[in-house]
Amino acid sequence: MHCNCGNTKLLIAAAGAVAASAFILLKFCRKKKLTFNDDSNVVYLVQLPRGKRVPSISPFPLKLETYLRVAKIPYENVFSSQFSTKGKTPWIHHRGTDLGDSQFCIEYLNKQFNVDINAHLTKEQRGVARAFLKMVEENLYWVLACARWVFGSPSRAGFPSSMNSLVLYFIQRKVKQYAYAQGMARHSAKEVFHIGKLDYQALSDFLGDKKFLFGDKPCETDCGVFGMLAQVVFNQPDSPHYEVIKKEFPNLERFCWSMREAYWPDWDQVLEKA
Amino acid sequence: MGILLSSKKPTFDDTSNTVFLVQIPRGRKVPSVSPFPLKLETYLRMAKIPHESVISNALSPKGKTPWIHHRGRDIADSQFCIEYLNKEFGVNIDEHLTTEQQAISRAILKMVEENFYWVLVCYRWVYSDPQNAGFAQKLPSWLLYLISKRVKGYANGQGMGRHTPDEVFHIGKLDLQALSDYLGDKKFFFGDKPCVTDCSVFGMLAQLVLNQTEAPLYALIQSEFPNLERFCLTMRDTYWPDWNDVLKPVAAAT
Repeated sequence: MHCNCGNTKLLIAAAGAVAASAFILLKFCRKKKLTFNDDSNVVYLVQLPRGKRVPSISPFPLKLETYLRVAKIPYENVFSSQFSTKGKTPWIHHRGTDLGDSQFCIEYLNKQFNVDINAHLTKEQRGVARAFLKMVEENLYWVLACARWVFGSPSRAGFPSSMNSLVLYFIQRKVKQYAYAQGMARHSAKEVFHIGKLDYQALSDFLGDKKFLFGDKPCETDCGVFGMLAQVVFNQPDSPHYEVIKKEFPNLERFCWSMREAYWPDWDQVLEKA
Repeated sequence: MGILLSSKKPTFDDTSNTVFLVQIPRGRKVPSVSPFPLKLETYLRMAKIPHESVISNALSPKGKTPWIHHRGRDIADSQFCIEYLNKEFGVNIDEHLTTEQQAISRAILKMVEENFYWVLVCYRWVYSDPQNAGFAQKLPSWLLYLISKRVKGYANGQGMGRHTPDEVFHIGKLDLQALSDYLGDKKFFFGDKPCVTDCSVFGMLAQLVLNQTEAPLYALIQSEFPNLERFCLTMRDTYWPDWNDVLKPVAAAT
């Protein structure tokens, strides 16, 4: 009679691996109930833990937190992997209201705190500002997502310690699926790099010698562009993207440093210690 | 889905310098119910590149449509097609733009194709009856159902599908506002001569202004951004004088 011992051991080992995976995943995704003080006017910014080289390894929390600093809105960080009702991060909590999507958050906060960091733009400039914001967040974002998650194995360098290899594996699976849905992942790695380079060219040509995109005062789009480019300039120094920026679009690196020095004087202090 | 939609790959004359533009069947009210074939065909007309439309559901190597075939080569993605054709035919309909204008032009192109496109997609396939998309023939309900399901998945992956219909409308409105504010009184986005971005914006907005006029976004254009409707009509009248002839039923390639 054929002995099933080998199969049984295999099954036990597989079950053990699944249980261990689930435990590690849950540890990262555990939805510890977040509590907020709703009497306070403070904005709670819920985001993933700090990176080792950038305050956030995701462009949108960095954009949103930079905006809060530019607009001088009182806020407090809540480092958590809890997602918004839209299933994404970052999100904010303010006076009992939860709000997802960085741009919706900014619109809400502009109203609540009566601020408008776009106020110095003309109507035409506002149109251009929105176009660049969307180019960066809906096109360049996917270039970088593909470069990091779709082509080759993602590196954990610079990531928060809590994001272990298993978490990265699941993120990679999701991002591959999303990037295919959005369309960028249908292109080859070379084509995606080319698309990214055209975006850098447009940003660089528009920025020119200016300190920020529209002159001496930053606007929402500067926060969005900074959040995105910081991922390359400060977090991925070995990537071909940083190489092309350094070589061909140095004003973009200069811009990132201007934003960092003006709005993140505590940059080194906030990072996760290596 | 690709298997359901795609048909046998057409055959082409590779000795000719003609560009074969492979696209889905004509719409009832617009030459294409998809923005990208309309963008590409408008560009071909603007750049005066000899071309021939091949009406077919055959998909590109990237699993999408439209695509082109030229001298033995298949090229997918409307923007890659334009870059290829610019080189092959020594044309550049963007050459009158300054460096800064070229930058703005790309930003607008991407806003329209990577953001507003998804607003339209959600409206057409998720919030309203896809039979209103303007297909020349009534498509079977089961096919529309399958496409809607697929599109919903894509929109969720891209992100737009995670918002509510009101939020998506609001996002669309902000894009239209940006387009309208930048266009102003100008004939085209950068003055009296159009460029690639004009082709793309036309391809996209024509889906509302000249096709799905029942859409709330069209009502918005009419009431708040009438210069966008004026722009679409200008593009149509200039580059599609044969608009009505084109819309007469065309037999699909086999």
